[in-house]
Amino acid sequence: MINLVILVFVGGAIGAMAREFLMLSVPHLSEGFPMDILVANVVAAFLLGLVAGLHKRRALSDDVNTMVGTGIMGGLSTFSSFAYGTVVLMSASTLGAVVAIAYVLVSLALGYGAVVLGMKLGERGASQPG
Amino acid sequence: MRALDVMWVGLGGGAGSLLRWWIGRIVGERYHGGFPLATFLINVSGAFVIGYLSVLFSVDWRDRYGTVLNAGVLTGILGGYTTFSSMQLDAAKLAGSGRGQLALGYLLLSVAAGLIAAALGAALARLQG
Repeated sequence: MINLVILVFVGGAIGAMAREFLMLSVPHLSEGFPMDILVANVVAAFLLGLVAGLHKRRALSDDVNTMVGTGIMGGLSTFSSFAYGTVVLMSASTLGAVVAIAYVLVSLALGYGAVVLGMKLGERGASQPG
Repeated sequence: MRALDVMWVGLGGGAGSLLRWWIGRIVGERYHGGFPLATFLINVSGAFVIGYLSVLFSVDWRDRYGTVLNAGVLTGILGGYTTFSSMQLDAAKLAGSGRGQLALGYLLLSVAAGLIAAALGAALARLQG
């Protein structure tokens, strides 16, 4: 139990810090489109799918799955900033509302595609040994 | 981004992830239905709190670090607590088991409830302020 607590805490810390570093490397768009959060969420969705796929065919242990899947990828992605940023954009202006709706739909579609792609690769064994 | 900000984001992210994992276990022990209830509750409650705290302390949503509040609590704890990737994985697993409609409904409901929760949190803070 205490081992799991440490794995989740350390994983979440690594994921959250990685999220901010990753977001810093993404340029801001002039229309206020939150490209940085989108990139962090889509990358996390892909990697979480990959981890889940590898774990499913027992290429990863339960502990690694907990630390990387639950911890790092959970910390790397964020729903709170996604939701609040959308609300702020929506209430700003008409253009903001259009951008916000596009942001939500693109995030959902790309995030879903990323997690499915990651799972398929993980289950198929994309990472060949050697 | 200073070293101190990185530390607060890391500590908050670890604590938030732990809270998410713990709530996930509690919900998982009590609820055995097909709807991904734990992630849904986590994301909606996190959206409410970020809306509330951001307005209460006048934090711009683009300012992700610089103080203990935005780096440690908003970016760290709430960012680590809520998860976009697990929501998508839940949906993909539902769709993979032939429940595509539930998967789509879950995604749309999560986003709608999350937006409403964030707006309600912000409105509550404005009422208080």
